[in-house]
Amino acid sequence: MFRSLVLSVVVMLSIVAQAAAQDVDLSTRVTAAVEQHILPRYARFATSARALSRAAFSNCNADDAELRRTYHAAFDDWVRVSHLRFGPSETDNRAFALAFWPDTRGKTPKALAGLIADESPAGLAAAELMQHSIAAQGFYALDYLLYDPTYMTMGVPEYRCELIRSLSEGIAVRAEEINGDWGQYFAAQMMAPSKAGAYHTSNEAAGELLKAVATGLQFTEEARLARPLGTFDRPRPKRAEAWRSGRSQLHVVLSLQATRELTTVLAGTTSVGERMDDAFETVLNNATFDDPVFAGVAEPIARLKVESLQQYVNALREQVVAEMTVALDVSIGFNALDGD
Amino acid sequence: MMRPIRMNEIPSKDRDSMKRTILGTSFVALISAGAAMADTAVLTTYADIAAAKYGDSTATAKVLGTAVDALIADPTEASLAAARSAWVAARVPYQQTEVYRFGNAIVDDWEGKVNAWPLDEGLIDYVDPSYGGTTDENPLAVANVIANPTLTVNGVEIDATNITPEFLAETLHEADEVEANVATGYHAIEFLLWGQDLNGTKAGAGARPASDFAANDACTGGNCARRADFLRAATDLLISDLMWMTSQWGEGGAAREAVLENEAVGLSAMLTGMGSLSYGETAGERMRLGLMLNDPEEEHDCFSDNTHNSHFYNGLGVQNVYLGSYTRIDGTVISGASLSGLVAAKDGDLDAEMQEKLGATMMALGAIKDAAEGGFAYDMMLEAGNAEGEALIMGGVNGFVDQTKSIERVVGALGLDGIAVEGSDSLDNPNAVFE
Repeated sequence: MFRSLVLSVVVMLSIVAQAAAQDVDLSTRVTAAVEQHILPRYARFATSARALSRAAFSNCNADDAELRRTYHAAFDDWVRVSHLRFGPSETDNRAFALAFWPDTRGKTPKALAGLIADESPAGLAAAELMQHSIAAQGFYALDYLLYDPTYMTMGVPEYRCELIRSLSEGIAVRAEEINGDWGQYFAAQMMAPSKAGAYHTSNEAAGELLKAVATGLQFTEEARLARPLGTFDRPRPKRAEAWRSGRSQLHVVLSLQATRELTTVLAGTTSVGERMDDAFETVLNNATFDDPVFAGVAEPIARLKVESLQQYVNALREQVVAEMTVALDVSIGFNALDGD
Repeated sequence: MMRPIRMNEIPSKDRDSMKRTILGTSFVALISAGAAMADTAVLTTYADIAAAKYGDSTATAKVLGTAVDALIADPTEASLAAARSAWVAARVPYQQTEVYRFGNAIVDDWEGKVNAWPLDEGLIDYVDPSYGGTTDENPLAVANVIANPTLTVNGVEIDATNITPEFLAETLHEADEVEANVATGYHAIEFLLWGQDLNGTKAGAGARPASDFAANDACTGGNCARRADFLRAATDLLISDLMWMTSQWGEGGAAREAVLENEAVGLSAMLTGMGSLSYGETAGERMRLGLMLNDPEEEHDCFSDNTHNSHFYNGLGVQNVYLGSYTRIDGTVISGASLSGLVAAKDGDLDAEMQEKLGATMMALGAIKDAAEGGFAYDMMLEAGNAEGEALIMGGVNGFVDQTKSIERVVGALGLDGIAVEGSDSLDNPNAVFE
């Protein structure tokens, strides 16, 4: 409800935007976003996800240094594309299977414990596991197996080893599938819109990209920051994202960097582009305090920094949407970070 | 599911002022964008149907209340079966009201009391060991208030000696600010009548014995008197909450007044409710997510295995709001000027398209219902690798998604472009699934 009301403002602003339409070659902007932002990032993710799987096959001990290094590298690269939730990432629920979070009812630990306790054959082969519940797949499941002491010692080592390999291979396969689909057809559909493709006009394609920025920022604010913040009386540090592997704050930073790049590429070398860049810079400067898993939410002083960052991100989103819808003369339409 | 920041996490004062300000601004935009002024008669029909649906929900909840009294007075398998039947019957009109939820703030703010879901049922009563223990999310996930007259919530001791409607509504419901701590409404009652469904993706619902409500030595599951108190209190609350909402839609009621106050806003409420229930809520959170998780706990009516009916009557509610015609539980029909007529006057093809889409969704939901009633339970459809089940459920999902596109076109045709349809993570591609 709250969201839909905010969005009605967005729509209102887009009405204003039509009045103030500027001369922007949207086709060029979309092409730049695809070629400079999307394709290189997915290519990099596919490479690092494959490296993770290779490392798991060569050594599947949860505390193996190379396995953990490749895990972090691949997870970084996922977060760098995690705002691009349309097209190939949605085919066959790939993004859901890579990243099932937040897990508000503890489905992931329950699903993993079930697999391990039963030594379920589903965990022994990536192809099988990829047909299984999304709660038992992807980075957030692997986070338990690599960093949670309970899951690092649960059941028999041989089974855990195969499960880690299957999870890693599933991540690699999906990363390669998404990357492949972009190269094979989706980039073309975005850059050369047609009635037969996913986008009828460059305007629609640009709207999709701007919506990805807005949704990415909204997710950072509402999930990555608001969830651990909870309320002043009831902070929820254990709801921080990937706190087991110490990645919570890093995800905020990586995602801000990624949405900054997409925004500025879309804006091109314009005064709006400069203002956007400055606005992101300010927020990023307020995102690097020393609190990697947002444990500070439970302490009054440290909490202020997280709260302040949340407010910065919120204001940033409003500014980006307000200015960019006008500059590009696009509507971002209905956003979906609502539900119940 | 995605329950990022929900309205109830925003202090209500801020929420209200925000709503007024934002809506106030967007009205201006709507009007300046040339919004169509509607025939008030369409809105009157909408409010009349709401009053009838909530009235039917109240009446069937009272029948449930009588059945619950009979169960508690004489707990036999027959009296338990009668109470369960009454619960299933009570869901028929209520699920059709859900289309009123998203567009009408008064309904949305209230709905958590009567239909909160999903729940951590271990808060309420005993659960199977496979259920697990406390989680990162909910320290009260296995608090079992029926067995424990004292609870500790966030370090504070709570007296749960007397299980009363007030205790459930004001203390236990959403205890510790966790939404899965559901102590009131249909699903809490459902859990008390059926118990956990431990059949996984096999057929079969919860199998609580009637003796869980028996006196003295015949009592199974322990603390039968407290369990009966809980059931009685939750049922009483449900009845009083539904009565309250029925009166809001009666002559002079706040919900009716809000809809009739401004024509563009009233129409927006109708279409927002139709779109949000179709897309984000039913297709996304309730259907597709469960399929991706292959998890029968994600079933909307997971204890009773009544999920096929829940989805079906959600769909029917959307359809009857558009057509302006609702068949009451006693068979009488409430109908009048409709959204369909309004659209037809502007664009006949669009009205035909909308009607066809709504009909197609009902066919798909009917197929799920028929299959479930024929023995192919919704649980079984969710099983990993069950292609037939996946096809049935996705048929319903696709119907809802498809009709949402037509609802958006209707919004455009009526010049109401300012409204937004609440979407869903599991459909609409934001960065993650919120459960």
